[in-house]
Amino acid sequence: MEQYVVLNKNDFDDFIDILAKLQKLVAPVKRGEKNYAFDEVTSSSEIALKYIPTILPPKKYFLPQNETLVEYNKKQNKREGTLYSEPLTIFGVHTCDLAGIQCLNIVFSDRPMDANYNLRKKKILVIGLECNEYCDEYASCALMHNQYPNGGYDLFFTELENKFIIHVNTLSGEELIKKMGMIKPASEEDMKGLEQLRIKKRKIFKPEIDISYSNLHPLFEKSFNNDVWNDIGNRCLSCTNCTNVCPTCYCYDMGYDTDLDMNSGSLIRKWDSCQSRPFATVAGGESFRPERAARQRHRYMRKFNYAFDKYNRYFCTGCGRCSRTCMAKINLKETINTLIKTVKAEK
Amino acid sequence: MRKKRIAFFDFTSCEGCQLQVANLGEVLLDVLDIVDVVMFREVMSEKTEDYDIAVVEGSITTPHDVERIKEIRKKAKVLIAFGSCAAIGGINGMKNNFDLDEIKKYVYGKNAGYFETIKTSALDQVVKVDYYVYGCPIYPPDFLKVLKHAIQDIPYTTKDVAVCAECKLNENECMYDKGIACLGPVTKGGCNSWCINSGNICYGCRGMVKEPVKNGCMEVLNKYNIPVEWITSKFNMYNKTLESEDKK
Repeated sequence: MEQYVVLNKNDFDDFIDILAKLQKLVAPVKRGEKNYAFDEVTSSSEIALKYIPTILPPKKYFLPQNETLVEYNKKQNKREGTLYSEPLTIFGVHTCDLAGIQCLNIVFSDRPMDANYNLRKKKILVIGLECNEYCDEYASCALMHNQYPNGGYDLFFTELENKFIIHVNTLSGEELIKKMGMIKPASEEDMKGLEQLRIKKRKIFKPEIDISYSNLHPLFEKSFNNDVWNDIGNRCLSCTNCTNVCPTCYCYDMGYDTDLDMNSGSLIRKWDSCQSRPFATVAGGESFRPERAARQRHRYMRKFNYAFDKYNRYFCTGCGRCSRTCMAKINLKETINTLIKTVKAEK
Repeated sequence: MRKKRIAFFDFTSCEGCQLQVANLGEVLLDVLDIVDVVMFREVMSEKTEDYDIAVVEGSITTPHDVERIKEIRKKAKVLIAFGSCAAIGGINGMKNNFDLDEIKKYVYGKNAGYFETIKTSALDQVVKVDYYVYGCPIYPPDFLKVLKHAIQDIPYTTKDVAVCAECKLNENECMYDKGIACLGPVTKGGCNSWCINSGNICYGCRGMVKEPVKNGCMEVLNKYNIPVEWITSKFNMYNKTLESEDKK
């Protein structure tokens, strides 16, 4: 099987029709004026091929918002681990979100390995989609080195004039391609087209902030006592939007939910957010991060400092969702720019 | 174990929250398996003075209400403030915007002298409350959760997180993006952003989060060019009762 194959745009409708019949298919769809969301689709007409990052990243399929981990029955003295998942294809994942999925994969395969996450992941087929242009001014994917595909997918689509060049990255991807009669091997000319697009992209996508990738970590290491956190803290409403929409935020809370029979029930895992006060509140009412400034600093540090220490990788993908969704207009690019200015001045 | 005896009471309210219980559908049968409903004016005629759990709807608005709720508190082992009116004062709190004598005349005209009235209070401003079910009307899954906790005598706290959190998880388009004022950012969640899911705004019926940031909110309004009156008028609809004094 060729590593690169081609799908003519005329055949795209058929491709999606077949894809949707194979297993549940989700893709970006338009949701309101300037919002998009991943949702189930059955035909290509529902899919928004040109979209800015969706409200929630595809992490919602890997780590559901409400996940039953254990089911119990007191009378029967039973307590069993559960996994609810179904085969799923996610179409149209941008490179920033592919990076986000890669981050989650690292975290959940780290010991102790999360069985539910990893079993679910095996059933998900990921089809990426290249951004030929910027989505909007909030993105900082070039700074975070995520403007080009860098693994994390089964198939990867790049849109050229009248066709898609598809990179086949895994065996599952290859098997899927075999089921699609309309897909042809890529010619030399196609590959040239892809190369030219990437060259063109190099001129469009340039680091959005004047700092090198490797200097981000030292910058944040020196920023713990910076005034910027107070400024952000004064504006933050603690609505928790920034963490909920982040493709790499994975913190969760767990709790038992008893059924009405007062006998059976389940242990449920839910998304949680470090931006809410209860997150770091412990028995007795004491909170480790009572001030919003400390909570916001924690969020930034988790992306650029702590994660780098632990996994040697930034946990910001540059998707821009946190800035895009913030009502108080707390902006990641502005924050980093302020840090660059003030940390330099401190020297 | 004897089934807990549960009685419903109503004060100043529309009794819509009790209707939500009557409308639970099939789940109601499961509820009846675990509790004995001994008094529920909305659906039955029987009355009794012997109950474990008092589910109280409505706010305290007359001197007679004060006496009555104190009596209920004495008899009940557990008291649940049920719905906005009981839990935070709710829309009855709008009365507190006015001078009491003036508003009495406005409502009752020349017969105003026959009616006694006091400033609207939430239940916990008068008696001790053990559990809260917020919302106008209550969100049924929320009520079931509280009920299960009350039966088992374990504490229940509504998580102090804004409606925005659940709204974002439901992937609704933000009202502020549409230039519409919404109380989501300052309102206690737990309703699964019920209203916004259906295209409406959040009216703040569940009361405010513990630490709403005034400065931050003002800045947000400025940025979206939304007049502050739009927010205050909406805020006064449900949240006037607890505005000036702290809960007991």
